[in-house]
Amino acid sequence: MFKDPMANPFYPYGGAYNLPYDVSYKLWEIIGGLIAWLINLVFPGNGVSEWLISPEPSNAFALIIFMLIIFIVVFVCTLLSLWMERKVLGRIMDRRGTMIGLKGFLQCVADGLKTFMKENTIPKKIDKMTYMWTLSLIIGASVLIACMIPLSPRWFVVDYGTGLLIIMAIFALAPFFILVSGWAQNNKYSLIGGMRAAELMISYEVPILILIATTCLLAGSFNIGDIVNAQFGSTWFIIPQIVGFITFIFCATAEAERVPFDIAEAEAELVEGWQTEYAGMKWGLIMLAEYFRGYVSCAMVVIMYLGGWLIPFAPAEINGWAPEIVFLLKAWFVFFIMIVLRGALARVRTDQIVNIGWKVFMPLSVINLAIVLLLKIGGIY
Amino acid sequence: MADERKLECACGAAPMDTDKMWVIMGPQHPFSHGLWTLKAQIDGEIVTDAEPIIGYLHRGWEKECENRTYPKIIPMADRLCYAASMTYTHLYCMTVEKALGIDVPEKAKYIRMVADEICRIQSHLMWLAAVGTDLGNLTVFLWAMREREFFMDLNLRLCGARMTTNFPRIGGVRNDTTELFDRDVLRCVERFEKAIWDVIALVDDSSIFLSRMKGTGYLTREQCVNLGITGPAMRGNGVDFDIRRDDPYDNYDKVDFEVPVLKDGDSYSRYMVRIEEMFQSCKIIKQAMRKVAALGKNAPYRLKVPSRVPAGRAFMRMEDPRGESLMYLVSDGTDKPYRLKVRSPIFVNVSASKPLVQGSRIADVPVIMAMIDMCLGETDR
Amino acid sequence: MVKEYLDKYPRNPARTLWLMKPVAKVLKIFFKTIVHRPVTILYPYEKMWVPENFRGRPGLRFDRCVACGMCVRMCPTACIKLVEVPDDAGAPVKRPQVNLGRCAMCGYCAEYCPVDAMTVTPDFELAEYTRRDLIYGPRRLAYDGITEGMEIRIEETLMSDIARGEPERRVSPFMTDRPELLASKCISCKKCEKVCPVDAVKMVEHGVNEKGRPILYPEFDDVKCISCGNCIADCPKDALTLKEVL
Repeated sequence: MFKDPMANPFYPYGGAYNLPYDVSYKLWEIIGGLIAWLINLVFPGNGVSEWLISPEPSNAFALIIFMLIIFIVVFVCTLLSLWMERKVLGRIMDRRGTMIGLKGFLQCVADGLKTFMKENTIPKKIDKMTYMWTLSLIIGASVLIACMIPLSPRWFVVDYGTGLLIIMAIFALAPFFILVSGWAQNNKYSLIGGMRAAELMISYEVPILILIATTCLLAGSFNIGDIVNAQFGSTWFIIPQIVGFITFIFCATAEAERVPFDIAEAEAELVEGWQTEYAGMKWGLIMLAEYFRGYVSCAMVVIMYLGGWLIPFAPAEINGWAPEIVFLLKAWFVFFIMIVLRGALARVRTDQIVNIGWKVFMPLSVINLAIVLLLKIGGIY
Repeated sequence: MADERKLECACGAAPMDTDKMWVIMGPQHPFSHGLWTLKAQIDGEIVTDAEPIIGYLHRGWEKECENRTYPKIIPMADRLCYAASMTYTHLYCMTVEKALGIDVPEKAKYIRMVADEICRIQSHLMWLAAVGTDLGNLTVFLWAMREREFFMDLNLRLCGARMTTNFPRIGGVRNDTTELFDRDVLRCVERFEKAIWDVIALVDDSSIFLSRMKGTGYLTREQCVNLGITGPAMRGNGVDFDIRRDDPYDNYDKVDFEVPVLKDGDSYSRYMVRIEEMFQSCKIIKQAMRKVAALGKNAPYRLKVPSRVPAGRAFMRMEDPRGESLMYLVSDGTDKPYRLKVRSPIFVNVSASKPLVQGSRIADVPVIMAMIDMCLGETDR
Repeated sequence: MVKEYLDKYPRNPARTLWLMKPVAKVLKIFFKTIVHRPVTILYPYEKMWVPENFRGRPGLRFDRCVACGMCVRMCPTACIKLVEVPDDAGAPVKRPQVNLGRCAMCGYCAEYCPVDAMTVTPDFELAEYTRRDLIYGPRRLAYDGITEGMEIRIEETLMSDIARGEPERRVSPFMTDRPELLASKCISCKKCEKVCPVDAVKMVEHGVNEKGRPILYPEFDDVKCISCGNCIADCPKDALTLKEVL
């Protein structure tokens, strides 16, 4: 049909080349062509096989495969970060971490299977509709933003002009659902956990938005690709914004509800916080969603401060080889920092996180903004 | 009682009073290290009232002893407190020796002291591990457990068992120190004095741990005395009393050690007292082992004692890792005790949980109660 | 004193204000464990070293046992029972059977065995599928490679020895304690002779009573006696007591 998928008149990305779409289009050409050929063998000269390989349905089927590819890649990356957390945390604690299969990677799969086989208990006296809907919204929002993170200029789902803002908006949705879900579960621990999630959100959300605005001010755009390219043109944004970087790492940890700030599911005093009443695969999916959120936090740090998918001082052709791998490696490095923080620090208290958020992170982010404004006015950037 | 009625109303459909909420941190809760319940009445996040419920592990220990001959109680006394098994056995043996009116050999006294202090370090390390998990950091847990393992190995070399040692006997100890024990005990203690600084660096130099422990669980000196709190929790409140120094049993008056006392009266001072007690225990072990070596291999370590205890009463008290424990023996002249009463320090200390947690946040409840170092085996007996 | 104690923990504001020290410590251990292996052992493949006198399950040397029942009497959890089994020649003998589901591994059976037939063994992997499988019969209690360190002996010092100035002497209660007869209570029932596991009791005639029947009093062979106390426990008239040497 079309040698290049971009030649298809129904290509959804206009002038931009999209690698996963390319792969899925070629995959569909093989699969769809095979099906069409088989049908043609049985019923020669029918319309179905011709329809299958015509431009519109090829495009539609390619989009379905495209979704699958994007999700599977993100899923495997998340499982890898989960595996890394187990191994690194194990080494930090002077033990071995998971050991089963492929240096322990298959333990994630085994855990998934185990949670599938658990009994799916639903308590009686709950608001069942809210209970299930908030759960699916939390998981759905997490998976959605994880899939929306572009890995390279050729690996994206939608190339928005305001990409960073949209990711941030969906990212910040989950605490609302956690609040509602904690209420719906008719459980004291869940209720306190949900309240704490809201308390946590009001403390880190404002500094994180100021930091994002600062980065966008420095880059002059909300588009993720433009932000990354701006860092290639000058230097990584971590150098002018080192204060912002440190603040953002902590804010991103809070956003992902990881250890220093996991007060919403503090297992010492609230049994599992807002997840107490979710059993079986529901709980497994919540845990998975949490790692999706951790992955997104790391990806945002990489995009905003660590130069995205670009290697510094490297010529363009080296950067063109495997920008996705570079991006993922950087994201895992940031995740490693988060794991070390988890291994070294304890959980803060609810009043302390509000204190830290408004008395430490907020001034730091404003200082960061002032530095960037000075640099911008001074004409360095 | 009025509050309980209110709780019942809240569960049923009767008119609700929603001002305050009872959170039951029940027998199966990650915060309660063992089977006990803390009912906490919370107003938002602030605890306004608390009530401990114990008795889930009641095994009829004291009654059971009345049906056993004197040597058969020794393995049972091990099971009173599994974290420091030798201390209660030691106490029981001392009580019976007092009833018999015999004086154990010098070597046995020193070996018992070494065993006691090993158990004190073991118990304090277990407590440190529990503090780590209560504050949401597993690294402290595993590092403290790693250090504890060396002392478990010392137990293994001393008498062939790791936890329930069954080591002291009426009239002495089970066996002489083995060559392996003599070789390893000083090495192990010297190693521990360096290695424990790792854990201290993780807890004491971390501002999060400090801010969680400082200023929480505050008690005044008078409150502490009136509530009958003993042990490190008392010495953290500025009461300078230690039975090892003020009413010495065995040969504690012949070794040189300090009793750490701090006057702040919050969780942090109790933490510091326990850490310092571990160092002092190391000091005692070193001196006692030197004395054991000076006595030579042929010195007697176990006396032959009559199997029947003359009719009468005897009591003995000692400094447990957790406080002042006491045993009271009534004998009727047969080979079985008529009555054996155990005074457990935790049983008294836990009754102070209301003044301890009142007014603090619910997130602080685990760390405040961790400073009491719950051990349910001896509390419920 | 308090001040001296506080000096041990220097309070440097720069150290407590930041989170740097714990993070550095954690990273140090991380890189250390990457180079060296962690301290944990891979349990089913690697095993911990255990000393000779490690208290695992009890072991029994079938031939040495005399079925005195001392272990049954001393067991704090009452998990030992004497059962009748054929010995090597086929004759029925009594030997201890241990219910390991109740065993507390205290080592009392090995300690109080007068003939060192019961020992401790370093065998601690005792999982079975049913509780019945946990009951170890006398033959199953055997353990290959019993060394001398697994025989736990009681070595006590007599208070009289210390008073005499001989603290080096070690005795075992099975060497010193012997049953003693209160002749006025004895009814010559010969029960002590029957229950003695080592044939140390011999009934000796001491004249006849008014009905013309012989009066038999037990006499104890000090060399053979292991002071197991069976005769004392089975005496119907409490004529025997254990004379404890102190």
